[in-house]
Amino acid sequence: MIRAARRYAPFALAGLHAVTQYRSTIVLSAITAAAATALQVFLWREVYVGGSAPAGLPFVHLTSYIVLAQILGLLHTNRIDELIAGEVYRGDIAVSLVRPVNYALSCLAVNLPTAAVSAVLAGVPVLAGFSLFASLPVPTAANLALFAVAVLLSVALAFQINFLVGLAAFVTTNTWGIRTIKNALVAFLAGQVIPLALFPADVVTLLRLLPFQGLIDSPLRLLLGGYGDWADAGRILAVQAGWVVLLTGVMSLAWRRSLRKVEVLGG
Amino acid sequence: MSVSTARRYARLTTVLCGVSLHRLTAYRMDFLIGAASFVIRIACQIALISVIFQYVPSLGGWTQQQALFLLGFSLLPRGLDRLFTDQLWILAWQLVRTGDFFRYMIRPVNPFYSLLSERFLYPDGFGELATGIAIVVTAAGAMDLDLTLVQWLLFLPLVLCGALIHTFIKAFLASLSFWMTSSLNVMVAVNQLSEFTAYPLNLYHPVLRGLLTWVLPFAFTAYIPARYLLTGDTGLLLWTLPVTALTVLLGYGTFRLGIRRYEMPGS
Repeated sequence: MIRAARRYAPFALAGLHAVTQYRSTIVLSAITAAAATALQVFLWREVYVGGSAPAGLPFVHLTSYIVLAQILGLLHTNRIDELIAGEVYRGDIAVSLVRPVNYALSCLAVNLPTAAVSAVLAGVPVLAGFSLFASLPVPTAANLALFAVAVLLSVALAFQINFLVGLAAFVTTNTWGIRTIKNALVAFLAGQVIPLALFPADVVTLLRLLPFQGLIDSPLRLLLGGYGDWADAGRILAVQAGWVVLLTGVMSLAWRRSLRKVEVLGG
Repeated sequence: MSVSTARRYARLTTVLCGVSLHRLTAYRMDFLIGAASFVIRIACQIALISVIFQYVPSLGGWTQQQALFLLGFSLLPRGLDRLFTDQLWILAWQLVRTGDFFRYMIRPVNPFYSLLSERFLYPDGFGELATGIAIVVTAAGAMDLDLTLVQWLLFLPLVLCGALIHTFIKAFLASLSFWMTSSLNVMVAVNQLSEFTAYPLNLYHPVLRGLLTWVLPFAFTAYIPARYLLTGDTGLLLWTLPVTALTVLLGYGTFRLGIRRYEMPGS
């Protein structure tokens, strides 16, 4: 364990160095998150003003959901897909392959601290800003604990999804298009664009079986108390954990398959 | 501009568009992925509108079909703009930093035209334009929209003015890179703000509304013309022409100033 930590620490440090170099990117993330949040809050406010509020979801809860969904989104924005796509495109992947480390873990080590730092630096001002306008509810300690577990699982899921999308670079060159499609679809299916609870009941049941809801919907349901009893909370975490396990298998399978397709020029 | 110059540029544009079409057919998969990425993003926006209108019959005085019409109309100037001016993103991103910008200054045509011509008929614009037309036609059909002769005559000029506003706001921001080396972050942030125009402007806070009307006049690309076409309300419509003219002057003027300042690295 300690050996592993020592082995991957340099990757993490390199990632953090990069963050401090791109400070304007953090400001940009904050602006983007704030703008996206404001847009949704404005739209939904009009629905609540009209007096036809969705059942069981007070406006302050919805506002908290929207703000926190954007911040979780920042935490999930690792650039692993871009990193892998870039390495495959330029052929640098050859260098990465000869390193005595696990490729997936080194990707994670580079990106995780970066994502965490930018989520905190960009997220805290956004959260503070919106709590000035709306008195956001304070979560209970139990919900906070459940949320913490769910966030860890969500970070793992975000990493796995991006890693798998990054592998698409082995088969196509328009990875920008693939990433745009992935970003839009994942944000939608995760409940970042519309809280999943607001969809028609059948759609909700379906969406809550997919891995994507584990990114935003699950952690926030646990935090905001949007679950029935303890068994229900356990089920939410179990679905998340189940997908993490399943995707780990898919990842190693896809990685081995992709390596067979690698061609790098050079002598 | 004399008649012969205009004819020369018209001929050049035809030839260069032809070249781009050849490129499209060569990279068909890239074209499909690029077009699909926009269709999916817009599908998410349509879903948001549909979910909202599950709860309310009208949102800030807009029916669902009217809101969809607004969303569709906002895509028309945007798609038209993207079809011809996508190279401005590259200018904002890296043309000054890499020094590649000099290529556009040594050709015997206007440097602005020369810059844009690199990416005429950018494929992603087709996706946006086609989706926009489909939404506008469907929504207008569903509410039996009956345009007057004047509204029919103004339809295309309004789309064109909207496209010009998009183009020259982008030109202004991209030209900032002559001073900042890269203005990509500013451009991404403003682009994010322009997403607000896909929904009714009267839902937003007055400050935001003012910002989107008079500072970054995106309101003139969707909300104001769509409102006129739907209700005949000419409120701010008369401002469209002066605002467009001013935006064009400001954007192009900044570009000219930037060129004068540009110094090429190299020997």
